[in-house]
Amino acid sequence: MRIHDLRAVTILPLMALVLAACGTGTTGANKLAGGTATFAELPAATPSYILPMTSCKYFSVTNLSQFIELMYRPLYWFGQNGQVKLNSDLSLASDPVYSDGGKTVTMKLKNWKWSDGAPITSRDVQFWMNLYKANLGGYCGYTPKYFPDNVTSMSYPDPQTVVFSLDKAYGSYWFTYNELSQITPMPQHAWDKTSDSSPVGDYDMDPKTAVDVYKYLDGQSKTLGTFATNPLWQVVSGPWKLKSFSTEGAVAMIPNPGYSGPVKPTIAEFDLQPYTTGTAEFNVLHSGGIDLGYIPTESVSQKDSLTKYTFQPWIGWQFVYFQENFNNAINGAIYKQLYFRQAMQHLVDQTTWISQIFKGYAVPTYGPVPIQPASQFVSPGERNNPYPYDPAAAIKLLTDNGWTVKPGGVSTCSNPGTGTGQCGAGIASGQKASFKLEYASGTIAVTQEMEALKTAFSKAGLELNLSENPFNTVIGDAFGGTTTADMDNWGGGWIYAPDYMPTGESLFSTGAGSNGGAYSDSKMDDLITATTTSNDVQALYAYEDYNAQQLPVIFIPSADAALTMAKKTLHGWDPQDPLLQIYPENWYFTSS
Amino acid sequence: MTGFLVRRVAQSTLVVLGVTVITFVLTKLLPGGVARAILGVRASPQAIAEFNHENGLDLPAWQQYLYYLGQLLHGNLGFSYHLNQSVVELLQDHLPKTLILLTISTLLALAIAVPLGMLQAVRRNKLEDYFFTSLSFALYSMPPFWLALILIIIFAVNLNLLPPQGPQGAVSTYLDDPSQILGLVLPVMSLALVTIALFSRYMRSSMLDNLVQDYVRTARAKGVSTTGVLYRHVLRNALIPIVTLLGLSLPGIFSGALITEAIFNYPGMGLLFWNSSQSRDYPVLLGVTLVVAVATVVGNLLADVFYAVVDPRVRVTE
Amino acid sequence: MSVGGRAGDFTGPLADLSAEAEGGEAKVSGSAWKLAAYVFLENRLAVAGLGIVVFMFLFCFVGPLVYHTDQINTDIANLTVAPSSAHLLGTDNVGYDVLGRLMIGGQTSLEIGVIAALLATTFGVLWGAVAGFVGGWVDQLMMRVVDSLLAIPTLFLLLVLAAMFVPTLPMLIFIVALVAWLVPARLIRGETLSLRSREYVDAVRVMGGSDLRIVLGHIIPNTVGTIMVNATFQVADAILAIAALSFLGLGVPPPATNWGAMLSDGVSYTYAGYWWLIYPAGLLIVITVVAFNLIGDAMRDAFEVRLQRR
Repeated sequence: MRIHDLRAVTILPLMALVLAACGTGTTGANKLAGGTATFAELPAATPSYILPMTSCKYFSVTNLSQFIELMYRPLYWFGQNGQVKLNSDLSLASDPVYSDGGKTVTMKLKNWKWSDGAPITSRDVQFWMNLYKANLGGYCGYTPKYFPDNVTSMSYPDPQTVVFSLDKAYGSYWFTYNELSQITPMPQHAWDKTSDSSPVGDYDMDPKTAVDVYKYLDGQSKTLGTFATNPLWQVVSGPWKLKSFSTEGAVAMIPNPGYSGPVKPTIAEFDLQPYTTGTAEFNVLHSGGIDLGYIPTESVSQKDSLTKYTFQPWIGWQFVYFQENFNNAINGAIYKQLYFRQAMQHLVDQTTWISQIFKGYAVPTYGPVPIQPASQFVSPGERNNPYPYDPAAAIKLLTDNGWTVKPGGVSTCSNPGTGTGQCGAGIASGQKASFKLEYASGTIAVTQEMEALKTAFSKAGLELNLSENPFNTVIGDAFGGTTTADMDNWGGGWIYAPDYMPTGESLFSTGAGSNGGAYSDSKMDDLITATTTSNDVQALYAYEDYNAQQLPVIFIPSADAALTMAKKTLHGWDPQDPLLQIYPENWYFTSS
Repeated sequence: MTGFLVRRVAQSTLVVLGVTVITFVLTKLLPGGVARAILGVRASPQAIAEFNHENGLDLPAWQQYLYYLGQLLHGNLGFSYHLNQSVVELLQDHLPKTLILLTISTLLALAIAVPLGMLQAVRRNKLEDYFFTSLSFALYSMPPFWLALILIIIFAVNLNLLPPQGPQGAVSTYLDDPSQILGLVLPVMSLALVTIALFSRYMRSSMLDNLVQDYVRTARAKGVSTTGVLYRHVLRNALIPIVTLLGLSLPGIFSGALITEAIFNYPGMGLLFWNSSQSRDYPVLLGVTLVVAVATVVGNLLADVFYAVVDPRVRVTE
Repeated sequence: MSVGGRAGDFTGPLADLSAEAEGGEAKVSGSAWKLAAYVFLENRLAVAGLGIVVFMFLFCFVGPLVYHTDQINTDIANLTVAPSSAHLLGTDNVGYDVLGRLMIGGQTSLEIGVIAALLATTFGVLWGAVAGFVGGWVDQLMMRVVDSLLAIPTLFLLLVLAAMFVPTLPMLIFIVALVAWLVPARLIRGETLSLRSREYVDAVRVMGGSDLRIVLGHIIPNTVGTIMVNATFQVADAILAIAALSFLGLGVPPPATNWGAMLSDGVSYTYAGYWWLIYPAGLLIVITVVAFNLIGDAMRDAFEVRLQRR
């Protein structure tokens, strides 16, 4: 799972062949070659890392989907025509073949080339796997017991072939979408070194020196000032390479002439522009300085007045929630009570939030699988809200379980104990329903939601003390594993990447790395495991329905990733990719 | 004069040392200390202990301070763990942009404020004076971010005359591309307007002070024309304190740059500072603070020395 | 102290740069007070300023008793509603009545301004008086501390502090005061220097008055003009400082608010045309700050004998 950056994301894709065909049909006459397309980064979301093996600190849509992946293509590309699915055309290998009852998987590379002309081979996959296994904290996609721990042996019989043996039979769908999806071949012939001066060798083969290789690459990848000049990063597999990079996050990319993929860039340069605030971005958009940007929700009523732009909401493969810390020294015991979580969820007025705060540009969240974009992953049960906004129902849940509810004040537990009608284990008599909620600053809508929540909570006597901090601070607290953190909302939720199948093993299974609230439930664990071994969508549905009912986190509306504004002279950006990847190689300008 | 110089330089040196003590104390106040700020909230206690040991942070405070001072003397202002770059390198990128912005806007402000202040003094309590006085008060009292936004809405959005953001390229490329120069206009304007308000008020009051001095009456009595008195005597004497004003204004001007750069998306030192505050990049925050403070001290020193050169009375006081 | 965009870390637009050098005639005798009051009241702008400030305090602190609004519960179904008879200035982006919000926010702005100015002035005056009175190396040391802090641009220091400590109302007051006490310290030290050599100080000493008594009983009362003028400017500057901090994302956390935070939230709706979220808050800031500055200017004129002759 990829932490969704604060205001997440942006742009566009499109699948080239199909779209280009459409495009030329209508506007082919004046399709222009060249030009510079400018893309607006979301506020405070600027690229800060370039190595595809990305640790959790840098594991964001901004870094990966909208920066690194333009230069370094994963072995398997997901996202096609605005849908979440394996894209065989853009993948570096042909579709994986499972054998031995699902215990062996074979991948064939396509003979594509690095930008320096060297072929992309199984050795480059091996390089990734060796660094991954030797530096498990180095890649954020890692979840203990899953990939690559579940691969018992790997072999690379020839430059085109990679064979993995697995520890048990997995669902092929799941294994491709959530495990093989993590691999990004890296140019072993250029990167397998331990210092600037060291020659390229086979250091990755020995786990000890593989650590040094990773350390070296990681260090280079944090040195923002040298991104555009470091020879390491000039060897790329994707359609783009860096021309310049500023520490503020202003990026210029030029086409990689040696790109082997099906669509080569038409535009001559692709720029990513940072903005301090949405207002600053919109100022520039207004004056026509951005080709593909966004309109801040606050200004969305003005979308039609910008006649040079096309408006299109960009819906991500994401769901939004905030978490309670089940390990909180005081409130942890409260969070462990299902009835209490249900009462809290009953106080989230998703319908009104969506219509008022998001002006309709958000999707309700009832469980861990996004309802939009439409997919076969959504269970019938998850399409309805099991806990609609209903303060009376919330109050009843509390009073039925031993709480004295004081609307507008602070409710207290008056009937402690673990029996029926009592507050539950660990909750003392007189314990107050008072919580701290820390949320990410900088996004007006998040502040609005949290203020509205505070009022709604008070209707059942739940006191919510709000505090505001920068995204990084909230993330630090949310995943700090402390007993002092209480509720944390980093304002972005999660986007399923590179675990494209929303099975939740890294989010809700006991001890999972991204399970910041320390939620633990054995039935949940079993259901998650079942989703990984079966190709039957019913297993996913069972997990999903149970999750939606159990509320391991509090679900809130998923705002559209961005309210895209695209210049009318820009083409090829549509449909937008729900994985929030961008495909500027498909873009082109027309004269009008 | 030499004695004055020596005393003043010694004083400034003390002040700079004082500033380093302040920034040092601030690092001590960091929640969880430097180690946690750098290694992150998830760092293990062992990792923190190790880091503290490696960086001498387990030594007594005065030894740490001396170490810190030694680092500063070697030109090491700290290291941004967020950007993986030394603060000095970051400043090499960002400082020139801020200096350009500040220099242009301050010179412009002077060029407008001095004649404006004179006009107001000469036409004291007349319509012009009231008009510009009200304007100065309004500009001075306006939150600068609001003023900047109003300028953007008028000149960039409605009239579409000027770019709504500062130049994004390196300083060396400004002259290659006229649009970058145009991009400087609004940031310079929003910074200069406030400075003009302040300087012109001061100039007016300084002129008025001088207009009632005895030497003016004497000159008039001797038959020198009013204009002559104004330019030959009053202006010269009224301008002297402006130099001091400039020196004293430095911190305020830097503060103004912080807001202006954030609004106009202009990647100078102010924007660097603001971004660093968002990412809690303390080494950059403290390093930049130190540089700005030292610049202020040096600016004040220069202003004082200049003042002493043109007005010998100053050397005697203090 | 000063705030972003402001030139000059000295107080008020007309602060007297040479206060330190010139400071200190013992000018406040009984009749001088009357004269000062007369000069002040004669200045129509100053009276207007005073009127505005009184009005603002009434508006913020008495207003909510007259104009009842719910400033505790958001009304998420009625966001950014245009002004109407139900909401005279419309509602904000979580449904609070804007007029009522301006009263609440003004309370915070004025409280921060006044309390920070009081704290800063009290501390700064004591610091400056002690430094000036004791003299010698103690004075040198104390004043170099002041100079060092003054050398750091206000907004930079505020931002560093606000980044380190979670901004709460008391914390904001404290950090604003922390940078604001420097100027009074400097001014008072200058006045004290000249006052302590006066004959009557010697006289008190001869009669056995303690140092403390001299400082508290004679020196500080004689600098009261400077103190009041400076404190007035500080209220204005503090209001602007809090606005700048709010814009930079370090204001008081909701549901508390202040005029600066309302304005900086409001400007996000510039394009949407929600003028009631922008101009009322902006104008209240400008008018209040101007009023305090007018009062400060006039008070300085009133206490400055030399200027009166003009």
